Amino acid sequence: MTRILDPTDKYYIDNPGRVKAIQAEMARRGIDVYLGSRIRTMSFVLDTFCPWRSYVIIPPEGQPAFFTFVVDALRIADETWIDSDHVRAYGPMGGMDQVSAITDFIKEELGIRKGRLGFEDGISTYTAEGNLSHWEYTHFKDALPDFEWINSHDIVDGLSLIKDKGTIERFRTASLIVDEGHKAARAALINGGFKGMTETVIAGIAALAMRKAGSVSEWNFAGLNEISSGFRTGLGACTPPTTKEIGAGEPLMLDFHAMFKLALGDHSHNYLIGPATKRQRWHADNFVAIIQKVIDNYRAGTTPGTLAAIMMDFAESRGCGDFIQPACEHGIGLFGDEWRIGAVVNPDLPYWTDQDHVYQENEMVVCAMQYAAPEENIGFRYENDIVITKDGCEVLSKYPLGIEEIS
Amino acid sequence: MSDLLAYLSPSWRDEALQRLQSELPPEKMNNVTTSMSNIYKNCPGGDEQFLFVECRDGKVTRVETGSGEPPQAEFRIIGDYETFAKISRAELGSQKALMTGKLKLKGNLARALKLAAVADRLNKVLAKIPTQY
Repeated sequence: MTRILDPTDKYYIDNPGRVKAIQAEMARRGIDVYLGSRIRTMSFVLDTFCPWRSYVIIPPEGQPAFFTFVVDALRIADETWIDSDHVRAYGPMGGMDQVSAITDFIKEELGIRKGRLGFEDGISTYTAEGNLSHWEYTHFKDALPDFEWINSHDIVDGLSLIKDKGTIERFRTASLIVDEGHKAARAALINGGFKGMTETVIAGIAALAMRKAGSVSEWNFAGLNEISSGFRTGLGACTPPTTKEIGAGEPLMLDFHAMFKLALGDHSHNYLIGPATKRQRWHADNFVAIIQKVIDNYRAGTTPGTLAAIMMDFAESRGCGDFIQPACEHGIGLFGDEWRIGAVVNPDLPYWTDQDHVYQENEMVVCAMQYAAPEENIGFRYENDIVITKDGCEVLSKYPLGIEEIS
Repeated sequence: MSDLLAYLSPSWRDEALQRLQSELPPEKMNNVTTSMSNIYKNCPGGDEQFLFVECRDGKVTRVETGSGEPPQAEFRIIGDYETFAKISRAELGSQKALMTGKLKLKGNLARALKLAAVADRLNKVLAKIPTQY
């Protein structure tokens, strides 16, 4: 979604005016800072699609600041009306977890160290992650006064780590369904078919093919089938499709999602729409080599931290360390189980992937890598469900690895 | 032992500046303008120390060490002395130290990620200084 800043545009919304109205109401209620966390608040204030857990901090005056998961910050900065310096990220680094990043911002950048903080709490029918909200917790607890409440999510997290035979079989099928989407997309794009085609249309072509093959949903909260072309491929790892037309001489990233009996197929494939330059080809060859290197190193006994180090060292040896993001996977399970790897909650960085988690046979992850050179308007993404085996891994999408030049 | 420079001492600092300037030309530093202060907690002796590095257009222009309040920097990286020492001895990767919470970053994360490879190059040069920890 492209930002609309022209007040004469028929779809224009006075977003700065909305913020001023919120700030006026804050002043009336004696609220010093507002911490918004609901999706509806992001849509109302940011005027862009914010699928990952996000927070908007509204000071008494001036622009709000927005914090989202680091994979999506560049894309949102490109689309929202607020300036890029006010679009921030949180992520799996010490000091950059959600709580630290946001509280530091309020205390140190806004200079508000005490006062009245407005926040959002309640109950709804909309699922998202589904952790018990403060409002739910408080009211359930009041209604069950004789119970001790124990946070026990680690029971399910631990038990769901190793996948049983039936679960793996569902993932195999879901991945093969995704391959049908990629076949349909390629068939539509080649021989000049890409001309005049938008990202949204290619997303729909793939969705139809996958539905025909048995998928019941494109499942992904971050925009169903994610597509990026041209400069958008360099924006990061969250790209809901837009009405941008796919153009000659541009990279194209297709990240398709299929759901089969709650198993989540997820495979990203990349193209260069010809004519490709030598520099584009160099980037593409780097990325394919990095993917192969990482896949070759999966096995029971290794850890996310080890794999990330292997990947970064290899990228640096090829002279492309500046372009690769420093992580190569995220967790996966049945619908609703995405992102964090391992069941341990590291107290130094709670609810992020445990870098020292030791993989065991029949664990699954999405091997996920992002290569981005935004200054060169190019980037790539790879995702593929894999099953960890004793001596390696089983890659579930069988779509051939490569970055093909098509025209 | 006499050839070793005490970690964060004035002589270590001077050696660091000289090596960073000679081994990391601006193009290797992606011509960036940035600065960072590493803040060392739980140092031997108990006090807090810092290492400040500044780059302008890719050239390392300042390296400072000391105790007390560090110069203002775009990024602050906070951790135990021993964690930084392990990184300098190449026993621990800086990315892993950050991603396990052993180091804490203060600053704009989206921009920091763009500079991750640059910071890694810088650490690799510092790791080669013969150092007494």
